[in-house]
Amino acid sequence: MKKIRVAIIGSGNIGTDLLIKVQRSEYLTCVLFVGRNLSSPGMAKAINLGVKVSDESIDGIVKNADVIDLVFDATSAKDAKYHWEIIEKLGKTVIDMTPAKLGALCIPAVNLEDIIKERNINMITCGGQASIPMAYAIGKSQKNIEYIEVVSSIASRSAGPATRLNLDEYVDTTEQGIKLFAKVPNAKAILNLNPAEPCIDMQTTIFALVENPDMEKLEIEINKILVKIQSYVPGYSLLVPPMYENGRIVIMVKAQGLGDYLPKYAGNLDIINCAAIAVAENFSKVHNNIN
Amino acid sequence: MTNHILISDPTLRDGSHAIAHQLTAEHVAIYSKAADEAGVPIVEVGHGNGLGASSMQVGLSLNDDKTLLETARNNLSKSKLGIHVIPGFATIKRDLSLALDIGVDVVRVASHCTEADITQRHLGYVREKGKEAYGVLMMSHMATAETLLQEALKMELYGAEGIILMDSAGAYLPSDVDEKISKLVNGLKVPVGFHAHNNLGMAIANSIAAINSGAKILDGTARGFGAGAGNAQLEVLIAVLEKMNYITGINLYKILDAADLAEKHILQIIPSIKSESVISGLSGVFSGFAKHVNRISKEYNVDPRDVYVELGNRRVVGGQEDLIIEVVMDLVTKKK
Amino acid sequence: MIQEDCAKSCINISNLEKLKSSHILITGGTGFVGNWLTEMLIYLNENFNFNVSIYLLSRNAAQRINYSKFKYIHYIKSDVKNVKELPRNIGYILHAAGTPDSREHVSNSIKTIDTFYRGTQNILDLASRLPNLIKIIHFSSNKIYGNNYSRIPMHESNTTIVGNNNQDVYSESKRISETLCKAYISELHLPIIIVRPFAFIGPFQSSDKPWAINNFIRDAILGGPIRILGNELTTKSYMYGSDLAYFVLNILSEGKVAEAYNLGSSHPMTLVELAIKIKNIINSEIEIKIRSSKDTYHETIFDVPNTTKLEHYFNIKPAFDIEDSLKRTILWNKIAK
Repeated sequence: MKKIRVAIIGSGNIGTDLLIKVQRSEYLTCVLFVGRNLSSPGMAKAINLGVKVSDESIDGIVKNADVIDLVFDATSAKDAKYHWEIIEKLGKTVIDMTPAKLGALCIPAVNLEDIIKERNINMITCGGQASIPMAYAIGKSQKNIEYIEVVSSIASRSAGPATRLNLDEYVDTTEQGIKLFAKVPNAKAILNLNPAEPCIDMQTTIFALVENPDMEKLEIEINKILVKIQSYVPGYSLLVPPMYENGRIVIMVKAQGLGDYLPKYAGNLDIINCAAIAVAENFSKVHNNIN
Repeated sequence: MTNHILISDPTLRDGSHAIAHQLTAEHVAIYSKAADEAGVPIVEVGHGNGLGASSMQVGLSLNDDKTLLETARNNLSKSKLGIHVIPGFATIKRDLSLALDIGVDVVRVASHCTEADITQRHLGYVREKGKEAYGVLMMSHMATAETLLQEALKMELYGAEGIILMDSAGAYLPSDVDEKISKLVNGLKVPVGFHAHNNLGMAIANSIAAINSGAKILDGTARGFGAGAGNAQLEVLIAVLEKMNYITGINLYKILDAADLAEKHILQIIPSIKSESVISGLSGVFSGFAKHVNRISKEYNVDPRDVYVELGNRRVVGGQEDLIIEVVMDLVTKKK
Repeated sequence: MIQEDCAKSCINISNLEKLKSSHILITGGTGFVGNWLTEMLIYLNENFNFNVSIYLLSRNAAQRINYSKFKYIHYIKSDVKNVKELPRNIGYILHAAGTPDSREHVSNSIKTIDTFYRGTQNILDLASRLPNLIKIIHFSSNKIYGNNYSRIPMHESNTTIVGNNNQDVYSESKRISETLCKAYISELHLPIIIVRPFAFIGPFQSSDKPWAINNFIRDAILGGPIRILGNELTTKSYMYGSDLAYFVLNILSEGKVAEAYNLGSSHPMTLVELAIKIKNIINSEIEIKIRSSKDTYHETIFDVPNTTKLEHYFNIKPAFDIEDSLKRTILWNKIAK
């Protein structure tokens, strides 16, 4: 079996965590780890792992294009747009970890197979990866849902300046994802930061306004999708099984991280990375004709 | 100038918590008019958790923000129209820009007391539009005075022209108020304010302690109409301030009338300190949780006081109402 | 409009003779300081055949002004922390990179320290290997003097103090960047001059920046009221952009290595005087409101530089007083909308 050769651009926390996951994968190998500055902690980790590094940003990708099959973009929405213009011309596939939303939105548990032909895949948001599979299960099992709402609580420490400055974009992108996958006309996303010590794990609650809920059907769909999610995010679990309370369906999930690069409480970062790895591995499997 | 206190009246916002956000347009019209008559400087209107907060998480509003704000705007001529905004609930594009178009004058952008940097964009937007922006630190009993000062300084830099400390849980004692308000008054350039809750019967006393420490802004609601055990009772506060020779610009008799009107037409029950409120205050839990805790505790037959204690232990912040279900379910399991 | 201002500020071109045909690098090339220096050099090139080659180093391609018609302006898109090498023919470096936006400093404190410390170190390292290096100007900040509660303007020999609040991350970063410069002067004998800028006004400064003067102008343009936050007697001084550029080029040409020079206006103004001046230019009906945490202040901040060292040594004076500076800035803001 031939491992797919990936490059990671962005040597921050997301990129570095992705690197560790890639190196652990049977289906992927990292041929290049790209950033802007060789002395960042992420770069040091990469060098330590024996991975080839470059501080030439997108130019590093261009120079090594012939040995790269797929690129993870873990930079920023602004930079991702600029990178895509170049990578598209090189004919490579990009898995975009930023909210740039240039390509197909992907929730592996839902549409992994459908996006196989796409060249730019967007991983939405961390809250989106945690909640949309459940929203999808609700959408599939219930009739006439008007509205789904998703509330995520994350540890303060796992939300850096970029997250804090872009809360509005996070809300917007997550809501877009919910509407698309659950096929509902209205959606709302809320984010809470909690500074409690020790740091809290990421927790997400999904609400749906439904008049006559079919809880049996819901449980079936939820269990189905839970199995799928857990295959790529082992730390994902149901905190409170689906219940009907005060006219609303309530599902509570928790995402605990693997602790690869960041501590386990940063489940929000872990879940989006695990989802991205699932997408990349699928490309590899399809490429190698594995089922 | 020395003895002038700016009063902001969130009867039609904090009060929303007390009636599960079921404010009608008529309620808003009646009270706004009366508050305007009485000379209340700022009348705050909206869902209990602020702009864009109508949700299953914290409760769906009977009327949308647009209706509530437009009604208020039409009934206020001298008073300014204010709103409470929490980033993470409200976005600039979807919520704030519409509110400013309706004619909101004052925007109070709030965050949990340790997370001021999420207010940067929203405060900046309000200032760019030339409206009055204030910063609010919620659940402020959960941080030290020094932390509160540093977070308040951030908000000041982002454009806030005043910083209000909220005692969202009704957990403060007057000595806490002295310490924290003085720290802010000394360290900030802009005026400092205090928003009290009455869980431990301290709302008025704490408000006065705040003034004695140099605060210039106070919040109060008619009959104390607000989340949990309610806020500082506005008409009482005005009377006390008058007795202490402070100037608020509010006519005492007219604000008493306004409170009578509120009692007659809007309030379902007069706020009081129930057993749960006491435990909630001691546990430092967000007052807005009260109705949710009551409902879910009753449904699953657990003691709401146990729920508050556990929520307090978990150091749950405002906006995390979904955790109530989890805590109740845990207690149910433990009971078995 | 900008070029007219440059002409007015250039009271004596002969001071700048040494800069003819030089290659000048400006880090932070797309910021306020970078823009004004570029405009001034364009003025000198176009009107007096100065033949200066300008290299603008900046991360921010988006904020760039389009100077493509001037063949002597070159862009280097890079971050000061990461740039690998500098054009070999650089003779002069004006290191002005890094944002003075205090909101950035408190929201992104770690990055702030990194940019000012590592960014400066990287530039100085690269500079030390340039074969034709003549002078470097390092832009520090008035903030390293701390809060001045005396009525005496700050002199370059004053002790530097850093406070304990979040925003003092900036003051500390600037202070250590000066110490870094001294280390490079001592060990590698780099020809560094330190400039401590105070407050400035003029085109190229966006009106949303969180400073009193920008807030006043923006409030006034929107119809008021002008809100003064804090002590209205806080005293500051403002220098106009083209004067800044002219002064800096003088220091670049004739300044003494290892010296520090205050850069700013010595004309003190209280915030309330400033607000009154602004409203009189825009609309005298505008109200001024004061929002302050305290009723009486025991101490008043006097953030004004002693500029005698610079003015005597170089024999130069600002061409714009505060009235003119405000008028030009307000005009530019209106045109820009």
